[in-house]
Amino acid sequence: MNKANVKVVKAKTKRVLNVLITYCILILVAFIFFFPCLWLILASFSKSGSIYSFDGFFPAQYGFDAFKSLFTDTVMYNYPRWFANTLFIAVMSCILGTFLTILTAYCMSRFRFKSRKAMMKATLLLGMFPSFMGTIAVYLIMTQFNLINQHWGLILIYSAQAPMGYMVQKGFFDTIPYSIDEAARIDGASNFTVFVKFILPLSKPMLVYTALTSFTWPWSDFILPKMLLIDKDLYTVAVGLMSLGETEFARFAAGSIFIAIPIIVLYFCLVKYMINGMAAGAVKE
Amino acid sequence: MANLSLKHIYKVYPNGAKAVNDFNMQIDDKEFIVFVGPSGCGKSTTLRMIAGLEEITAGELKIGDTVVNGMEPKDRDIAMVFQNYALYPHMTIFENIAFGLRMRKVPDVKRYKKDDNKGHRAGEPVLDKNGQEIPVMRKYNKQELAAKVNEAAEILGITEYLKRKPKEMSGGQRQRVALGRAIVRHPKVMLLDEPLSNLDAKLRTQMRSEIVKLHKKLETTFIYVTHDQVEAMTMGTRIVVMKDGFVKQIDTPKNLYKYPANKFVAGFIGTPQMNFFACTLKKSGDKVKIKFTDADAEIAVPYAALMKTTPHYLDGNKNVILGFRAEAVSLDGAGDAKIKVKISHSEELGTETLVYGDLNTEGGEDTRIIIKAGGFRQFEPDAVCTASLDTEQIHLFDAETEESIMPRVPEFNYLDCSVKGGKLTFLGTTETLPPAISCADGKGELLIPVSAVKFGGGIKAKVTDSETVNGKILLTLEINGSRLYALSDKERKGEVSIGIDYKAITLRVGGSEVLPMPRINCLDGALIAEKKDGATVYCLLIGGEKFAAPEEVYTKIFAATTGRKAFNTAFRYEWDAYGLSVGENGISAEVEGMLDYGEEKFARVNAGGQTLYVKTDADLSGTVRIVPDAAKVSVVESERRIRIV
Repeated sequence: MNKANVKVVKAKTKRVLNVLITYCILILVAFIFFFPCLWLILASFSKSGSIYSFDGFFPAQYGFDAFKSLFTDTVMYNYPRWFANTLFIAVMSCILGTFLTILTAYCMSRFRFKSRKAMMKATLLLGMFPSFMGTIAVYLIMTQFNLINQHWGLILIYSAQAPMGYMVQKGFFDTIPYSIDEAARIDGASNFTVFVKFILPLSKPMLVYTALTSFTWPWSDFILPKMLLIDKDLYTVAVGLMSLGETEFARFAAGSIFIAIPIIVLYFCLVKYMINGMAAGAVKE
Repeated sequence: MANLSLKHIYKVYPNGAKAVNDFNMQIDDKEFIVFVGPSGCGKSTTLRMIAGLEEITAGELKIGDTVVNGMEPKDRDIAMVFQNYALYPHMTIFENIAFGLRMRKVPDVKRYKKDDNKGHRAGEPVLDKNGQEIPVMRKYNKQELAAKVNEAAEILGITEYLKRKPKEMSGGQRQRVALGRAIVRHPKVMLLDEPLSNLDAKLRTQMRSEIVKLHKKLETTFIYVTHDQVEAMTMGTRIVVMKDGFVKQIDTPKNLYKYPANKFVAGFIGTPQMNFFACTLKKSGDKVKIKFTDADAEIAVPYAALMKTTPHYLDGNKNVILGFRAEAVSLDGAGDAKIKVKISHSEELGTETLVYGDLNTEGGEDTRIIIKAGGFRQFEPDAVCTASLDTEQIHLFDAETEESIMPRVPEFNYLDCSVKGGKLTFLGTTETLPPAISCADGKGELLIPVSAVKFGGGIKAKVTDSETVNGKILLTLEINGSRLYALSDKERKGEVSIGIDYKAITLRVGGSEVLPMPRINCLDGALIAEKKDGATVYCLLIGGEKFAAPEEVYTKIFAATTGRKAFNTAFRYEWDAYGLSVGENGISAEVEGMLDYGEEKFARVNAGGQTLYVKTDADLSGTVRIVPDAAKVSVVESERRIRIV
C-alpha cells in the first residue's frame, strides 16, 4: 500500500468517525427530549390511576381505562366540556388576535404617523415583562367590566395581548416591496384594497404563523383561566386537569396527550401555506 | 393627453433636507420629457410628486387645468412604471394588466337586467319620467376587460404570456407587463421611473426605441426619469437636467448639447466629457486672448465668436472656465486657434479614436485634454502635437458659480458711451438722459440689459438676425454698424425703432456710476387671522399694519406650512415697484427722494430701515403711507427659503 492510499483510507475513517459521533450526540439529545413525552404516553395507558402504583419508573399494567373514563366519567370531571371550552376560547382568540396583530403590523409597516416610533419602542419594552405581571390589574379590570367567570373575558384578554407581538409580522410586511402598494394605489386601489388584495395574499405564510401562535397560547395557558374562571363547567383543559385528584394521574396523562391532537391537526392543515417565496417575481431584487 | 404645469414646486423633508428646490416647468401635451441627473438630484422625487406618491411641500402642480396638489394618485389619471416593475406577484399577467381597469368605472346609462313582462328587453336603457336615459357609473364587463387587455398586450407583444405569473417571465417581459399595466388605462400622463435600468445593455437599447415608438403611438405626455444621459438624449423631446434638487437646465437635447447653461450640464451631457480649463479672458481690439491658468498656453479668438460673453469677464483678471468638446479640437490643423498638446495615450473605438493628452508638456490632471480623431489612427505616446480649436464651439463658465457667461440670451449689451450736458451718446446716437440719472460728463461704458431694449422709441435700428430661445425671440440689431441684442415677443424684420428703459441701465462715466433701480421691494412680515363680522379674515402683517390677503395667497401659505404653524412663521413679502402705491392706510415711510425717468416717476422711500421704490405720479415728500397690493404679492418663507406664491 503506497502513501497516497494510506491517506485516502485515513480520510475515510475520519469521515465515518465524524458521522458516528454526530449521530450519537443527536440520538442522546433526542432521547432526553422525547423521554418525558414517552413516559407521559406510557403513564396514560396505566391501568391503575395513581402514580404510586407504578412498578418502579413505569406503570405496572397497561390498559385504555384512563382514556375511557376521561370521556365517560363526566360527573365530577367533565373533560369533553373542558375541551369544548378550550377549543371555543382558542378559536375565537385565534381569529380576533390574528386579525388585530396583522392590522397592527400592517399599520406599523406601511403608515408613517407621529408617535409611530414611540409606540413601537413602548410595545417592545412592555413585551419584555412577563404577561403574568399584569394579572392582578387584569383581574381588577375584568371585575369592573363584570367579565369574571366568562369565556369572553378570556378571549378579550388573549386577543388584546396578541398584537403586542406584531414585530415578526411587521418584519415580514417590510419585505413586501412598497412599490407594489404604490403601483396599486396609482391603479386606483384604496389602502383597504391594497391590504386585502395584495398584502394578505402575499403574506399567507405569516398569517399561518400568526394564527398558530395565537391559537396555541390560549390553548395551553393556565394562569389566566385559573384566575378568571370559577365554575368547574367553564374550566379550560389546563385548569381542569390540575383540578384532578391525586389518584387520577393516568387520567391527567391521557388528558394532556389528548390536547396535543388539535394543534397537530392544525399544523398539518396549515403547513402547506408556510412556504417561502410568495412574492417572487414582483420586483427586481 | 394633457399638459402639466409645475410652479415653484418644493419638497422639504421633516428633517429639513430639501430634495427639490423651486421646480418650474410647463409641459405641453404629447411631449416626451426626460428628467436626468446623478443619484439624489431629486428627479425621482419630482416624478413621485407628480404621481401623488409624495406630498408637495410648496408650489402648484396642474395636470390639464386642474390643480392636483392634494389629489389622490388614482384621481390624477396618471400611470406609472417603476424601476423594479412592481408587478402583482400573485396575479396572472392578465390580472396584473386588468387590475387598474377593474378599479375604475365607466359612464353608462341604467339598463334593464332581465326581460320583463312590460316588453322591456335585457340591456335596454331604463327611461325616467321625462323619457330621459338615467346616467350611472358601472364597472367594465368581462368582454371590455378582455378587449382592452388584449389590445395593450398586442402593442407590447406579450399576448401569449397572459396566463403566466410574473415569476415565470424574464426581466424584459416583466418590464413590458409593467408598461402594459400603464398603457391599458389610456392615462393623461405616463410616468416612467428609470424603467430600463434593471435590464442588460442590449435589451435596454431595444426597449428604449420601443418606448419611443410607444410614445408616438399613444400620443400621451410622457415623463421619463433616468440617470443615463444617452437615454435622455435619444428619447426626450425636452430634457430637464437636475443636480442637488435644483433644475440646472431645461431644453431640447440639441440645445443642451450646443448651449449648456452651466458647467454641470456641459460636463454631464455628451461623451467623452467636455474638456474644461481654468483661464482668464482679455479683450484687446477685435480679439480676445484666452490665457490658460494651469498651462503655459494662450490662444487668441475673434471677439465676434465671444460676442455674447458677459462683459466684465473680459478684463483679464476674472477666473473663468473654458470648455470645448472633444470634437471641437482636431489634430489635422483645421481650426483657428492652435495649442500644443502632449499625447499620453489613445483609445480606439472603431469609428473614432479618442486621444488623451495634456496641455502641460510635463503632464497634470488639470490640463487633461481629450481629442476626437478619425478611426484607427496611431498616435505615439509622449509626442507633442499641435491641436487646433474651432472657436465657434467654445463655452465659457464662471469659475465660482459655474454658470455660463456666454448665455444664449446675453444678459447685457456692453457699449462704449459718452455723456455731455445730460445727453448720452452711444452707438452713434444721442439721447437725453432722464432727470433721475445724473452723471458727470465724460467717456465711459454703458450696460443695457437685453430686456431693457424696448420697441417703439427714438433710435432706428436694423434687424440682422433672429433666433427663438425658450419661446422668446432674440433679435440681433445693427445700429450705425454696431451690434445690439434685444428680446421680442414677436418676429420682427427690417427697420425697427427702439428705446431704452433707463431704470434698468448701468452707466459708468468718469469715475461715477449710476446703478439700475432695484426691481424687487422686500418687506418682512407674518400672517395673522382676524375675526371680522363673524368671518375669519387672513391678513398679511407688515410693520404693524394689516392687509387682507386674497384667498389664493393664504391657501398657498397654509398648504406650504402644514405641520408648522403658518401664524408663527416669518415670511418675506416681495413686490415690484408697481405693486406698491401711496395711500391713506399703509406702512409709514419717509420719502428719501424722487426718481424721474421721463415717462415714469418713482419715489424712493424708507420704511423702517427698508428702502422701497414706489411708482407714483405726484412729487412726494415728508412722511407717506405705502399700501402694498396683496394680490400682486410674492411670498417667500424666510427660514426654509421656500417661494410659496
